[in-house]
Amino acid sequence: MGLFKYFIKRLLLAVPTIIGVSIIVFLLIHIIPGDPVQVMLGNKATEAARTALTERLGLNQPLYTQYWNWFTHSLQGDFGISVTSYEPVMSEVMSRFTATIELAFISIIIAIVLGIIFGVTAARYRNQPADHILIGFSLLGVSIPVFWLGIMLIFLFAAVLQWLPVSGRLTMGLSIPHITGLYLVDSLLTGNMRAFADSLQHLILPAISLATIPLAIIVRVTRSSMLDVLHEDYIRTARAKGVPRRRVIFKHALKNAMIPVLTVIGLQLGTLLGGAILTETVFAWPGVGRLLVTAISNRDYPTVQGIVFLISVLFVAINIIVDCCYAYLDPRIRFEE
Amino acid sequence: MTSEWKQIIIEFRKNKLAVVGFYIAVGLLLLSVLAPFLAPHDPLEPNLTAKLIPGFWAGNWNNFLGTDNLGRDLFSRILYGGTISLRVGYIVILITAVFGTILGVVPAYYGKAVDMFLMRIVDVFLAFPPLLLALAIAAALGTGLEKAMLAISLTYIPGMARIVRSSVLTVKTLPYVEASQSMGASSTWIIVRHILPNILAPAVVYLTLLLADAILYTAALGFLGVGIDPSTPEWGAMLSSGRDYLLMGQWWVTVFPGIMIVLAVLSFNLFGDGLRESLDSKLRVQ
Repeated sequence: MGLFKYFIKRLLLAVPTIIGVSIIVFLLIHIIPGDPVQVMLGNKATEAARTALTERLGLNQPLYTQYWNWFTHSLQGDFGISVTSYEPVMSEVMSRFTATIELAFISIIIAIVLGIIFGVTAARYRNQPADHILIGFSLLGVSIPVFWLGIMLIFLFAAVLQWLPVSGRLTMGLSIPHITGLYLVDSLLTGNMRAFADSLQHLILPAISLATIPLAIIVRVTRSSMLDVLHEDYIRTARAKGVPRRRVIFKHALKNAMIPVLTVIGLQLGTLLGGAILTETVFAWPGVGRLLVTAISNRDYPTVQGIVFLISVLFVAINIIVDCCYAYLDPRIRFEE
Repeated sequence: MTSEWKQIIIEFRKNKLAVVGFYIAVGLLLLSVLAPFLAPHDPLEPNLTAKLIPGFWAGNWNNFLGTDNLGRDLFSRILYGGTISLRVGYIVILITAVFGTILGVVPAYYGKAVDMFLMRIVDVFLAFPPLLLALAIAAALGTGLEKAMLAISLTYIPGMARIVRSSVLTVKTLPYVEASQSMGASSTWIIVRHILPNILAPAVVYLTLLLADAILYTAALGFLGVGIDPSTPEWGAMLSSGRDYLLMGQWWVTVFPGIMIVLAVLSFNLFGDGLRESLDSKLRVQ
């Protein structure tokens, strides 16, 4: 099976999954105990306001009509109107989306680069102090709650040492023209180095907190995958031929050790999207995760549904890309099933 | 106890870190069970004249971990917090174990149509980023510990079903199952008598690691104030309430509950990892 055909197959398999996801997201509003309109508007709402919201959400229609309307609209990017801001959910999400992308992207880069370097180092110095220290840190890394780590980083680096800003994405008074929505890119494009430095400073602590769990897991997987590969015959052959150890590790072993690492990176992207919710809340980072938490506390269910659906579809898409990546690296995968 | 488990225990004992993890976990469990006897103060009783008092580092042995923003004794709250976090963890694991096993065994054993149908549903649940699903369900269900437990369990059951299913598929083809079938044993008998005991070990390892995860998720829900009432002495909720005071120098309300979460999660992770390793080495020996 060619790579393209494999991609199409994975894409088609995703269709029923997306439909299933949409059903669950749609049903969220129906598992609210009691009357959802009452819950959203509170007790003080007028009868007219209630009727209007019921109409708008279509709650007076049969369930399947409601679902069909919701699904067809959401496929067109229409998730209705926020109950609190009266803005379309989609435009609210989109205005915050780039903030989340910027944070998540920097975090996963940190996690992948450091994770592979640390993992290879730990494998190379197996059972030596460097290995024990790295493994110790990675054990701690998976056990620390993201939000607590974030708070502790703020306490240390923002409050006590005052090296970095406490929260937000940019210092008040500075502004960056909207080109891509990614502050680092936009400030560079406009040559505004002060804004670039400022947004980078704001990014450091949230990116470190968000990167910690994926980093810890990538270290462990890289280490064990490297250890497996280093026992293979072709490694011994390469060493016996006189290829320097360093070259064997980076040229021969690492490439073959990457498949399990890639799998785990794909899985970690889901954790990352979840972690972003917590990190953004801690650092008042104006992204989709924070919007979700605000929407939950305001009982703004159309917004909650929209965000949950969009992030899940994004997660499905990421998984397809990751699957195709290792189908490319390991052609055997394409021929399975 | 079967010799299989004896061997796992022997292997497990060689792993010092795992043993340490096990003892910390048991210690935390004891603390949480004995919380009503050990706690010097009422965890819910506010004392507005004793707000944010520092603890032993300032010579205060009466509230030796200090008091929170409502003057409640932090040490007592942390002890009760253990009761809540661990109880939520155990119940989530129990629900996950029961429903995950049923949803894993049934499709794997009966195959074809049932398998197709149930596994597609499992796929749908696995398509959500884990925390997102728990958060969405908890948000819809509203506040309450049982609801938070339900929300977290729902995110774990599909993964458990997957693990159980693949173990059953392996065990199903083994000669003794075939032998039992040919002697006319019923499906239920084969599942209970032959299949379940053989998938127990991987399931226990998975559930131990899941327990660590469940403690983290509970704390995350508590921290976000979704599904868990902010006044509950739950570790995540406690450190969230202390956040505003941290920058003013009253660090203890945030620091101590956080340390407890790390300790609990770390101990179950070490324990679970150790179990997995001893199980793997047992498999290698065979």
